[in-house]
Amino acid sequence: MSIVINKDTRAVIIGGAAGLNAARKMAEFDFLVKRPLTVQAFVYPPEEGQQKEIFLGGELKNVKVYSSLADALAENPQINTALIYLGASRATQATQEALESDPVNLVSVITEGVPEKDAKKLRILAEKKGKTLNGPSSIGIMSAGECRLGVIGGEFKNLKLCNLYRPGSFGVITKSGGLSNEAMWLCAQNGDGVTSAVAIGGDAFPGTDFVTYLEMFENDPATKAVVLIGEVGGSLEEEAAEWLAEKPRRIRLVAAIGGTCQEVLPQGMKFGHAGAKEGKKGMGSARSKINALREAGAVVPDTFGGLSKAIKQVYEELLASGVIAPEEPISDELLPDLPPKVQKIIKEGEVIVDPLIRTTISDDRGEEPRYRGYAASELCSKGYGIEDVIGLLWNKKLPTREEAEIIKRIIMISADHGPAVSGAYGTILGACAGIDMPQAVSAGMTMIGPRFGGAVTNAGKYFKMGVQEYPNDIPGFLAWMKKNVGPVPGIGHRVKSLKNPDQRVKYLISYVKNETSLHTPCLDYAMEVEKVTTAKKDNLILNVDGTMGAILMDLDFPIHSLNGFFVLARTIGMIGHWIDQNEQNSRLIRLYDYLINYAVEDEREVPVKK
Amino acid sequence: MAKILEGSAMKFFNKWGIPVPNYVVVMNPDRLAQLGEANKWLRESKLVVKAHEAIGGRFKLGLVKLGLNLDQAVEAAREMIGKKVGTAEIRQVIVAEMLDHDEEYYISIAGNKDGAELLLSSRGGVDIEDNWESVRRLQIPLDDTPSIEKLTELASSAGFPEGEISERVAKISSRLILCFDNEDAQSIEINPLVIRKSDMRFAALDAVMNVDWDARFRHPDWDFKPVSEIGRPFTEAEQQIMEIDSRIKGSVKFVEVPGGEVALLTAGGGASVFYSDAVVARGGTIANYAEYSGAPPDWAVEALTETICQLPNIKHIIVGGAIANFTDVKATFGGIINGLRESKNNGYIDGVKIWVRRGGPNESEGLAAISKLKDEGFDIHVYDRNMPMTDIVDLAMNA
Repeated sequence: MSIVINKDTRAVIIGGAAGLNAARKMAEFDFLVKRPLTVQAFVYPPEEGQQKEIFLGGELKNVKVYSSLADALAENPQINTALIYLGASRATQATQEALESDPVNLVSVITEGVPEKDAKKLRILAEKKGKTLNGPSSIGIMSAGECRLGVIGGEFKNLKLCNLYRPGSFGVITKSGGLSNEAMWLCAQNGDGVTSAVAIGGDAFPGTDFVTYLEMFENDPATKAVVLIGEVGGSLEEEAAEWLAEKPRRIRLVAAIGGTCQEVLPQGMKFGHAGAKEGKKGMGSARSKINALREAGAVVPDTFGGLSKAIKQVYEELLASGVIAPEEPISDELLPDLPPKVQKIIKEGEVIVDPLIRTTISDDRGEEPRYRGYAASELCSKGYGIEDVIGLLWNKKLPTREEAEIIKRIIMISADHGPAVSGAYGTILGACAGIDMPQAVSAGMTMIGPRFGGAVTNAGKYFKMGVQEYPNDIPGFLAWMKKNVGPVPGIGHRVKSLKNPDQRVKYLISYVKNETSLHTPCLDYAMEVEKVTTAKKDNLILNVDGTMGAILMDLDFPIHSLNGFFVLARTIGMIGHWIDQNEQNSRLIRLYDYLINYAVEDEREVPVKK
Repeated sequence: MAKILEGSAMKFFNKWGIPVPNYVVVMNPDRLAQLGEANKWLRESKLVVKAHEAIGGRFKLGLVKLGLNLDQAVEAAREMIGKKVGTAEIRQVIVAEMLDHDEEYYISIAGNKDGAELLLSSRGGVDIEDNWESVRRLQIPLDDTPSIEKLTELASSAGFPEGEISERVAKISSRLILCFDNEDAQSIEINPLVIRKSDMRFAALDAVMNVDWDARFRHPDWDFKPVSEIGRPFTEAEQQIMEIDSRIKGSVKFVEVPGGEVALLTAGGGASVFYSDAVVARGGTIANYAEYSGAPPDWAVEALTETICQLPNIKHIIVGGAIANFTDVKATFGGIINGLRESKNNGYIDGVKIWVRRGGPNESEGLAAISKLKDEGFDIHVYDRNMPMTDIVDLAMNA
């Protein structure tokens, strides 16, 4: 048996992330006692329509989020309880709405910092409606073996240690949430566990007081004794003492009251919960509460540590008098265990999983990313540059100093080529249309292909083939290319020619040939090809793509990486264009009619649809 | 609960039409002289100068000066401002008109379970405690304002002369109820409310007001901070922890109690008080109150730990707590372990005994980790949930 909540409790949680976390904790208890999910719905307008995933043991359940309590209740008529997990500024209204909803007869509020005036109003409303309001600032309610409302009881292991899978004989009422859990443990350790445990919250004006819960416990035949943990401030404990003294009671009362230390503290010094404040002339002091409870017949030890013995003593007396039957211990093996998470059992080496992907370049599982095993910060501190990182991530090895210098120059000279080329223009169009950077730069990026910037890979690939298959036979190479590929990638330019050479190409070739010791079979081959092609036509020169491709093959980069150099370098330029347009507040642009040849039909009438 | 300074209370009274004497709050005595040039009442009335700080017993400390003219008031302000009282420094004074008056009344309102209670007495002033039997009470239900007739009746029954005075007191009471209700006050006590019968002028000469700090989200005009609730201004270390507390999820709290030998590094608003009680019950003295709860980040617990380790002359540190519902023991103990190590390296906790008892999520990992401090030379004694919660205090006191 239990009070307030039981097997029939079905709850809606009003609130966001904290509420979801509570629902998951509650589901752990549901699994332990083999009951259906307690939480049947969420109310949280920002996440309306979502399904929240909650594990009931190994079974994945989906619980719907509604935008209003009315909607949640309309679709889930079984709900009779509401849990409020909102911030203080919104909790009052939500609690009021829940109290005013017919099917809801219990509302528990975890919110801390609800204004006192609001708390009083809510309590008066609950009384008028004949409903139970628990809290504010309550960690929740537990009915052993039946229902858990909120995160009261802590982790799964603790639920078992506190015997919460089956009812005992002790009721628990506390102001403090942490001590509700401690008290449940004490009842399991020194007695036979709890029927129900209620944390009423530490505010000055709780929705339901100690006396009301004591009365409920008195009327619950399974409860034989109650552990009450109170503290300085207010008069709830004195009222509990009065209740106990009023007439003979069936239940025994064990209590602890916090705050006696205030007797020796400097005047006015106040600790603990919001409601823990002594009134004028010692009213509500811990000492007056302790005395009142002792006089009324409660067992009140002089420190909290003494509760263990007090509970044990009461339990043994109840056993001796036959009020409580000896507890049949339940073997731990009969109790279910939460299914472990995959990560945990993999860690423990108890399961093998085929990997989904494989990586050979980097690893972020340690304290910082490592590229091919080298810590990024160590690379920085030892003087390496971005060109070395490119070497590691694209070619799996650190380039030599000479090689790194070449890589750096390749990136530098291809970083941008003015606004008119396809990539930059695409980005600028996007920027002018008000598109954000990643999308606008992607628009430019999509231009990179066979006609713009995307010839580096193929140029490198075919020059390399020429070196291997047609050494010293340029005509043979060109004939093969003509037959199988078409124009040679990396050869030819729209505006540049022998007479008007591309300075970037000139510089790159001269740098590599004159200032490095790089062995350059591909570059040499490409230059031989250029000699033959320019003899046919002045503009069939080795272009920048071809130069880069040949040099990168000589640097031993993988073929698949070659276009990456252009992509990477030009991204710098495209980002620059996007920033430039945004700095100038550019406006939307469109093509002028005179730039378009409208090769279209004359105006005519639409025929009747057949 | 948040006590506010007199100046802030006076502002509320002005807002709600409760008569107050003329007053100014200044941080600079020269400013008072300038205000004197601008305000006739400062030049022509007898003045009272009070330290405008949360210091108890201001009279005895000479921080209230009565019956001054403007020059004397400027001098008194000059003396008070910048003066150190214990750990507090006086930064501002309130200067008010000393109204010549014929009678001193008492009027207060305080919240209770069902609303609030209004208290009236025609025999106010410093002796109110001795005249407590003269006080008449009226329960004010929530969201209810009693009629002026009813309040007039109450005033008359409380010994106020029938007629105009009772009616005026009723009106002031009615406004006080409005102020209490609309400003989310928890209590307002005006003592004395004075009357000068020659021109029937009333004024609230002194007032103590508490507001519900939790309600501040709906009071955009609250431009004050609550006064410290510990009977003195906060120390620097306390302010640092409050600053951390305001930034984190969960909470860390810290109050110094000078002269104590047992430092508390305890978890939970309920359990932490029981630990303080246990120390006192076993004849010990606490060096502080501390509490962390609601799964605070480990760095915040680490900062709290270091602050506690720096308390002077402590002999024990009680790292106590109940079995937590959701505060992760491993994570929060991580912060405590770092804080203890750091403090030891800085020479703060030589010879200090550390007593640990805790349960909750990941308790075995957390307790195992803190136990390892033994190997680093800490005098540390670690217990799990099987040790009754506050019994580590008994062990410490018997050690």
